[in-house]
Amino acid sequence: MLEKIKEVEQLALEELNSATDIQMLESFRIKYLARKGLVANLFDALKSVPVKDKPFVGKSLNELRNKIQTLFDEKKDLFEAKQKKTETAIDLTLPGRLEWLGSKHPLTQTLDEIKRIFFRMGFDVAAGPEIEDDYHNFEALNFPPDHPARDMQDTFFITEKVLLRTHTSPVQIRVMEKQKPPVRVIIPGRVYRNEAISARSYCLFHQVEGLYVDIGVTFSELKGTLVSFAKQFYGSDIEYRFRPSFFPFTEPSAEMDISCLFCKGKGCRLCKQTGWLEILGCGMVDPNVYKYVGYDSEIFSGYAFGMGIERITMLRYGIDDIRILFENDVRFLEQF
Amino acid sequence: MHISLNWLQKYVDVKISPEELANKLTMVGFEVENVKDLGKKYENFVIGEVLNVNKHPNADKLTVCNVNIGSKTLQIICGAPNVKVGQKVAVGLIGAEIPRNQHDPNGKSLKLSQIKIRGVESYGMICSEYELDIGNDKDGIMVLDADAKIGTPLAEYLGLKDIIFEIGITPNRPDAMSHIGIAREVAAILKERIRIPTVTFEEENEYTDEVVSIKIEDFENCPRYTARVVKDIKIVPSPKWMQELLSAVGVRPVNNIVDITNFVLMECGHPLHAFDLDKISSKTIIVECAKGGETFETIDHKKRNLRNDTLMICDANKPIAIAGVMGGANTEITDTTTNILIESAYFNPRSIRRTSKYFNLSTDASQRFSRGADPNITKWAGDRCVQLMQEIAKGKVLKKAIDVYPIKIQAKEIDLRVKKVNEILCITLTSSVISELLKSIEIETIDIDKNVIRLRVPTFRPDLEREIDLIEEVARLYGYDNIKLKESTTTRFFVSPPEKDFLDDVRSHFIGRGLREIITNSMQNIDIASITSDKFVKISNPISKEMEALRTSLVPSALEVIKNNIFHGSKNLQLFEIGKIYWIDGKFEQQTPVKGYIEEEQLILIFSGLKKPLTWDEKTRSFDIFDVKGEVILFFKKIFLDNIKFIPYPISNALSDISIRLELEGRNIGIIGKVRTELLKKFEIEQDVFFAEIKLESVIKNRKKENLFVLLSKYPIVSRDIALIVKEDILHNKIEDEIRKAGYPFITKIELFDVYQGEQIGMGNKSYAFTLEFMTKDHTMTQDEIEGIMNNIMINLEKNLNASIRK
Repeated sequence: MLEKIKEVEQLALEELNSATDIQMLESFRIKYLARKGLVANLFDALKSVPVKDKPFVGKSLNELRNKIQTLFDEKKDLFEAKQKKTETAIDLTLPGRLEWLGSKHPLTQTLDEIKRIFFRMGFDVAAGPEIEDDYHNFEALNFPPDHPARDMQDTFFITEKVLLRTHTSPVQIRVMEKQKPPVRVIIPGRVYRNEAISARSYCLFHQVEGLYVDIGVTFSELKGTLVSFAKQFYGSDIEYRFRPSFFPFTEPSAEMDISCLFCKGKGCRLCKQTGWLEILGCGMVDPNVYKYVGYDSEIFSGYAFGMGIERITMLRYGIDDIRILFENDVRFLEQF
Repeated sequence: MHISLNWLQKYVDVKISPEELANKLTMVGFEVENVKDLGKKYENFVIGEVLNVNKHPNADKLTVCNVNIGSKTLQIICGAPNVKVGQKVAVGLIGAEIPRNQHDPNGKSLKLSQIKIRGVESYGMICSEYELDIGNDKDGIMVLDADAKIGTPLAEYLGLKDIIFEIGITPNRPDAMSHIGIAREVAAILKERIRIPTVTFEEENEYTDEVVSIKIEDFENCPRYTARVVKDIKIVPSPKWMQELLSAVGVRPVNNIVDITNFVLMECGHPLHAFDLDKISSKTIIVECAKGGETFETIDHKKRNLRNDTLMICDANKPIAIAGVMGGANTEITDTTTNILIESAYFNPRSIRRTSKYFNLSTDASQRFSRGADPNITKWAGDRCVQLMQEIAKGKVLKKAIDVYPIKIQAKEIDLRVKKVNEILCITLTSSVISELLKSIEIETIDIDKNVIRLRVPTFRPDLEREIDLIEEVARLYGYDNIKLKESTTTRFFVSPPEKDFLDDVRSHFIGRGLREIITNSMQNIDIASITSDKFVKISNPISKEMEALRTSLVPSALEVIKNNIFHGSKNLQLFEIGKIYWIDGKFEQQTPVKGYIEEEQLILIFSGLKKPLTWDEKTRSFDIFDVKGEVILFFKKIFLDNIKFIPYPISNALSDISIRLELEGRNIGIIGKVRTELLKKFEIEQDVFFAEIKLESVIKNRKKENLFVLLSKYPIVSRDIALIVKEDILHNKIEDEIRKAGYPFITKIELFDVYQGEQIGMGNKSYAFTLEFMTKDHTMTQDEIEGIMNNIMINLEKNLNASIRK
């Protein structure tokens, strides 16, 4: 009987080893482990074993069954795992399920960044109407009627005295009419110019205006504030310069240039070989303006500045045609 | 304004490079936009003389020439038939860039190198007019004047050895619109002396006022009129040096007389006008305003209608010039003119500006007069003009100018406080330093002490009227860059809560929801603007018909964007814009910054194409109106605005085929819609478009800024489903209302999860299935309680909506 067990064990181990697929394994199971299999047959034969030998033979038989069963299970798991892999494995390189992606218009992104910087420097925000009267857009900003400075800004008129604002500066007047110093605001908004539309100019654009009026505000502080802004916005390694200019509502007036962002001042097509890029206009608020809003220019002084958001956006992203900003082609929008 | 370096150097020594000068001018407020070297194009071109011409040994049509270029003789192969011994020619040397290669089909430029042509070396090129980009003659070489000097750079021979500064002159500086004006600034920058030409000439015995008489009827608009008469001139081209200078600054040479007046204009900035004296009736000049209604032909041969405020120069019986703007055809200088009258006048800037605007005519003269000329230069300018006419045109100058100038315009005197200068600029200059700085631009100190300087401002600086104007001059001359930065501030703090930028939150919300922000033009065609309102704002001087009105809705400009995107292949679009709409408030109903005009911040959401991108296993579908409705509901949820009513409006209106009106406390605050088919056709869009347009200002006003915390319930939520069949004309919101009413206050959620219509439930019926959720704040609801509420709901639905409950 013990030999028989040995024999079955040997046979079973050989057969199990040579099983290469799940079908062969199943045949193996039926042959050895099924209810009428070889192992079961041996258990049946146990009945005819003499009683004194029974414990020992029985133990051997149990060991045999357990051994075959264990080895069979191991092999079965192995085959099943293999099969699972080939039948239902997930292709993780399939694309993820997408939703549409939103995006902020590049002009808004630029404006947001400008606002963040000035908020940190303690500026509030103000707004005013786009449909403006001559008084706020020109007269109170020290552009007298029949003054040549009015030609600097080609104007869309609605009536003789009502127009589309040509700059955000009228909001300076509106703010000062309502509020006594200190006034410290930035004023973003849409402005209009009656100019032929081209790669360089559009019939409307957006500005951010700044105004600070208080006791003892100086040109030196104007410079300091704007240099700080420029370094925060364009990077701390920029060069800058202030050069005299003319705006009716500021005196002294200046334009601020920074070293060209592309050629670093060596001269290129973008900076027209000058190495400089004009980024904003500024100046000390003209005393005539204070007269219109009832501030005493002997007590208060202040500065104002203004910059074009389109221009800054174009410089920032290397856009060479302003019109593309208003076309809203999603192939353009998704780049930002 | 173009300034020639050669010309400038007549008045001031420039010992620095053109680039340095450009930079210095820029830094005192004269922005040099470009520095142009006129001769650069002809670097490496010289004048040569052809010494001999021999046949090329290996080519019939070519010759081998020896050309003397002064320093040496070059062997040059030439293909031109007209080359001859003894000719003076333009020679391009090795390294020269031929502007136009005549053998290139596009006339591209060509860089010369030493080459062998059929076995013979050539060391340069004898050029044609075409090759030099001077003319279009390709048939032969350009033959120069016989007296051209061998070895001279071609640029010099052509009068192109000059540097041109293109300067942007700000409108407050009319004085700088001339070479002397710029020279004055240059002298101040470089600490050089300015040289004003001395004017001397011979006068005839005959007096000017024996020949002509001048009468000013309008002293306000013409405070001064100076006149000179020059006789027996001959109209010929002006000399080469003058033509070169004028051409260099962009003035086309015409003839000696016109050129001289232009020369004086570009020299000192004062506009002059030359009349043909023999065409002036009764030799009388009268300065007065037109009567209005007459027509007048100007030199450009355009007929212009005069207005009664148009200041005119007239003779005894007709107008002969629009004062300060343009002369008349009737007294124009022609080839046969022999006697002329030179006008050197000063006109009121406002009058000239008005006239120039009215005629939409801007000339060199009107630009200067309208910005403010110098009333005290007229005599000098007139004299300078006749001096040149004598020198160049051999004219006879009559004795003594006529100078009508009854009230002399005096130089202004202004007090400047040293303290104020230092305060505003944050510098520490003494009165004597300030005085010196200002003296360099001819602002004289009359009186000075430690605290105050009394200054006299020359009349050529009309922009300097107040103390602050002088402070700017001090800053300019001291150098903006020398003013230190103050990098800190002692600002006073705000004491009221800042206005939170709600619009930024709205933007962020929709970007997070997957919409792209667009920014569109607010001007549009009247046909478009009038779709949504007849109270649109009209622009009186639009660029074009396409931009004649301000928009009254954001929908059309968004449709334009959709159209263009579809055209470029992007068909799935989910966009939003926050922008203004505008209209006229004819009855002044609202308090607005500019009375009668209203502008309001508006939000548009607009969708077209697929609701979701295609995926590999899920189905997608096109957007429909419920997607937009959902987006709007989410938005209001986000900003805690829970009392919006959605009112169906199933018939078409201006913008939509079907729509849902949004109401807040009885007021219309927006609309959701499917864009009207006719409108889509207008924009050539062939797919459905859905939108929502919301009045943001109403939303801002009514939104809750913050919510107070509500205690969370500790007890479980119970949910039950209910299905019912109703007639199909019973609307969902009606059913919802009934359920809510009957379930109050326990019901917390009503969710529609199935809609069915079909034969099984009978035609004309529909079946809705809802999941309902119930909750209390103070106990766990019992089975009986819930059954009770459900019963209530069912009874209510059966009774009020005639619904049958599916069991």
